[in-house]
Amino acid sequence: MTDIPEQGMAPKIAQKSRLRVFLDSDIYYTFKRSPVAVVSTIVVLILVLSAVFAPLIAPTNPFNPASLNLMNGFTPPMEPNAFTGDTFFLGTDDQGRDVFSTILYGMRVSLFVGVAAVLFAMVLGITLGLISGYVGGWTETIIMRTADVQLTFPSILVAMLIFGIAKGFTPVEYRDQMAIWVLIIAIGLSDWVQFARVVRGATLVEKRKEYVEAARLIGRTPYAIMLRHILPNVLSPVLVIATISLALAIIAEATLSFLGVGAPPTQPSLGTLIRIGQGFLFSGEWWILLFPAVTLLTLALSVNLLGDWLRDALNPRLR
Amino acid sequence: MSRALTIAALIAALAPAVQAEEFTWAETTDPQTMDPHAVNSAAVLGFLNNVYEGLVRRDKDMTIEPALATAWEPIGDGEGWRFTLREGVTFHDGSAFTAEDVLFSYQRASNEASDTRSWFAPVSEVVVVDDYTVDIMTSAPNPIFPGSIANWMIMDSGWAEANNATLPDKESGNYATLNTNGTGAFRVTAREPGLRTVLEPFDGWWGEVEHNITRAELTPIQNPATAVAALLSGDVDFINPVPIQDVARLQQDDDVEVIQGIEARVIMLGFPHEADALKFSSETTDTNPFADVRVRQAVAHAINVPAILQTIMRGNAEEVAQLVSPAMQGYSPALAARPAYDPDQARALLAEAGYPDGFSFGLKCPNDRYLNDESVCQAVTGMLAQVGLRATLDAMPVQNYWPELRADNYDMYLLGWSPGTFDAEHPIRFLAATPNEEKRLGSWNFGGYSNARVDELLPQIQSELDDATRQAMLDEVAMTLQDEMAYVPMYVQPLVWGTRSNISMTQRPDNFFILRWVTVN
Amino acid sequence: MLAYIIRRMGQSALVLLIVGLVAFSMFRFVGDPIDNMLGQERTAEDIERLREQLGLDQPFAVQYFRFLEGAVQGNFGVSYRQGRPVSEILLERAPATLELAAVSGILAIVFGIALGVFTAIRRNGFTANFIMSASLIGVSLPTFLIGILLIYIFSVELGWLPSFGRGETVDIGGWSTGFLTESGLKALILPAITLGLYQMTLIMRLVRSEMLEVLRQDYIRFARARGLKDRAINFRHALKNTMVPVITVIGLQLGAIIAFAIITETVFQWPGVGLLFINAIQFVDIPVMAAYLMLISVMFVGINLIVDILYFFIDPRLRVDRAGGH
Repeated sequence: MTDIPEQGMAPKIAQKSRLRVFLDSDIYYTFKRSPVAVVSTIVVLILVLSAVFAPLIAPTNPFNPASLNLMNGFTPPMEPNAFTGDTFFLGTDDQGRDVFSTILYGMRVSLFVGVAAVLFAMVLGITLGLISGYVGGWTETIIMRTADVQLTFPSILVAMLIFGIAKGFTPVEYRDQMAIWVLIIAIGLSDWVQFARVVRGATLVEKRKEYVEAARLIGRTPYAIMLRHILPNVLSPVLVIATISLALAIIAEATLSFLGVGAPPTQPSLGTLIRIGQGFLFSGEWWILLFPAVTLLTLALSVNLLGDWLRDALNPRLR
Repeated sequence: MSRALTIAALIAALAPAVQAEEFTWAETTDPQTMDPHAVNSAAVLGFLNNVYEGLVRRDKDMTIEPALATAWEPIGDGEGWRFTLREGVTFHDGSAFTAEDVLFSYQRASNEASDTRSWFAPVSEVVVVDDYTVDIMTSAPNPIFPGSIANWMIMDSGWAEANNATLPDKESGNYATLNTNGTGAFRVTAREPGLRTVLEPFDGWWGEVEHNITRAELTPIQNPATAVAALLSGDVDFINPVPIQDVARLQQDDDVEVIQGIEARVIMLGFPHEADALKFSSETTDTNPFADVRVRQAVAHAINVPAILQTIMRGNAEEVAQLVSPAMQGYSPALAARPAYDPDQARALLAEAGYPDGFSFGLKCPNDRYLNDESVCQAVTGMLAQVGLRATLDAMPVQNYWPELRADNYDMYLLGWSPGTFDAEHPIRFLAATPNEEKRLGSWNFGGYSNARVDELLPQIQSELDDATRQAMLDEVAMTLQDEMAYVPMYVQPLVWGTRSNISMTQRPDNFFILRWVTVN
Repeated sequence: MLAYIIRRMGQSALVLLIVGLVAFSMFRFVGDPIDNMLGQERTAEDIERLREQLGLDQPFAVQYFRFLEGAVQGNFGVSYRQGRPVSEILLERAPATLELAAVSGILAIVFGIALGVFTAIRRNGFTANFIMSASLIGVSLPTFLIGILLIYIFSVELGWLPSFGRGETVDIGGWSTGFLTESGLKALILPAITLGLYQMTLIMRLVRSEMLEVLRQDYIRFARARGLKDRAINFRHALKNTMVPVITVIGLQLGAIIAFAIITETVFQWPGVGLLFINAIQFVDIPVMAAYLMLISVMFVGINLIVDILYFFIDPRLRVDRAGGH
């Protein structure tokens, strides 16, 4: 293990074999044998794909105000509108927006916010976790103490605080695009601690192992060690946390939009649609609430089930 | 057996006499204070109208009728008004009502610390003639003065002094913030801010009792869906407002009734008349198209008000072409027609003004101030987009909205206006007059609309005693505002109340809920 | 030991200061309280005067310092909206939130542990699997929607339970309780379920996985080999050993319950501090918002501190490296 080419090769081989282990053996076998996992994967795939390709699937573009006809408002599903005669698969909402299209576009917003927030939390959590685990000392104390506080400080309050502050700092012209990014940062910030804790724990364990010691001895930088040796070892728990966090993030977005800090009504997310729809719960326009709610439930439930299964399959010790 | 029957019969016979007619109601917000001079808001004044009284009050159809004053007449050639006070009236604590209390209440309500100060801007002096006669002198003839003080409530001077509440304290509150001592039909027996306020009839009230309530309780319920649920399940007897979309559903329910009327509030769009350029446009950044009357007319023609009323307001509102609704004094019947919905004409007007492809701009809107305000703004955005006026909608809670408008952060905005005096002069003073801090004019004229003729007519309208001459001037102002499309009035907001079917009550057009007109059947 | 506690308290104080600063800086952007305090007929002059009275014309740092100065003495100022001392209002509202939080916390713990044990013991049974999947529905819908649906079903359609508020309360030495009247207890049911559902799911899943973990351990196998009854193994040995992490999580979730009470209280018009906070945002009642946030942070930081100190006593090993596990 002293000549240079071998050093470059070793981690790659290690990574590859881990990937193979990950895909080939146990996991795939258990996956095939779990109907829940298969079904929820299919459902998630269908939902994600229809969100991604919403512009191609959706009959109308609900985000384009010029295309809306207010007289189409409140059309029940599969029934022609009394004034315009138009028929909509899942009906229309108060603005005459096709509910089916709005759900597809709304899911895009929800998924975008959810995925981006989780990615943000993941990058932040992994970075801070690696650093605190590897460096230790004061750095570790500060990071983990912040994490403690963050963990006890409820996510919705964090989000409301950030929303309030961001509103003050965003120039007036950019306010309407701001909402989405603030949601991402707010949800991401309230979620990084789990990643940081898991990664730090694993780093503490890995750090003492011989291969890391060896890498250090041959003069690899801490950066390279953390990234190429330690990180691959914590990927599976991170994946589980990420999946469950995704479901949580989508729900959190919905909750925030109820408190009035969610996606704007002209570009609604599923959560915004539910907030709007709940106003029509008593008035008989059940489809405005029901369909977005069922979509959100299906999405979050399948992601949750998938996460649940992943957790058991990847590591029974992990919670 | 027979004895039991006798007792049962006895109880049945007695029941109506001892049965407590309890009444609970819910509103969106709690009155923030019990001090009638601290805050000039409909929530506070509407509630306190049940507890305190003014010299005059408004009847079921909004006409002015005697309350603590039995009669009033102009003094000389419009130098003021003489009020003859009602004798034998007592406050809830038993002390007698006299002219001293009127003078005290004038001093209190017109003080700098009071929010109702502006009502007394025309007043030069209040003179106590004797115990039951008061002269209120005005600096100029003021024909509508008695109508403008219907919400000026009389407080007992002795009570206020004894409790250190001679002036309202908005900042830190005082005894009168939580406690009351009026002459009204009801007295407050428990007050827990934000939770509940309990009222009981005042036995010593001077008026004739129409209601049969023995105890009434107000609870604020913020979430409209919860309020509707509370009414449907019978947890409350009355809610205000009913969300527009739930009207049909409540009408179908046998246990619930919906009382509808037209409110005084006109919903309109406003423009930045004075701005040099648009603030939220991606391409039109060096000019202000809304300064051109043709562009403003294009906006008026582009908006399909009937469609908004049909869908979003569910047929519960009425179109309007002026800054006041037809129910107001001084409305101009000849100018009732709104610009027709005509997208082609709107496009033509835009082309004529030099914007054949339209332009983009920012529309500001509150989302918790007026009925379905956010939905209406969304619909407006869509309709304007169809003629090439591409609005970016920014809807926000009202606490962020007014500061934004004051800071001129808009290219177009939504505004609702309800004239406190129920007179067409009111919106002219606040919305159409050129903003003038010193004269307290145009304080809600955010866009700085300015027309010399309107400014000239306003003081004349204010002091004109002859109805026909006054109306002619009001007509002229209304016509000018329409011609110049200073605002685009859209519709008059409806009043929608919901009650259990065993309740009967009267809805007053100013949305004040008057408890003494309620009977529980 | 003492040094450790002192150091931790110092850190907590610092955290509080920072939270306070962040929270306070938010208020500048929540909106302007002035418009809510003045009526339609106000003039620009009135606006300026009131702004001055409230000290809103002062620089930010001065406002923050004044707030801290008062807060340290337990004086959070006077509510802009109600014109009463904030501390008085908070004390009035606290019982409602605490009772709601307590009931939903107990619901979550009792049902969470029971169902967790059940699903762990019957690991592969149909019912257990069903419960596991069904519990996810509860966390896959936003709380506000669950609350509204419960109101719709149980108040409007069935008419069994009240749709809002606390019902009748009894005042005991300044503490208003809803526990002593029938309507008060009935009013508690729906909000408590809404609020506790998420925590229940969480505890149930945690108990289940801890149980499974423990049941796999050697000493359990040994106990089983020795012929101990299943019941004794499950409850006397396994459950007891899962309690430490469960208690930790419950401690941390206490904060979440209080925070999520904001949403539940809004939906059910529950007159607690959460509703007070939402109303305060609506009316830009800065003193109330500031006091609420400070109170919440004091509580959370306090919980954290207590948990840490408990750890110190229970298990010195965890003292150094406690963040790793849970």
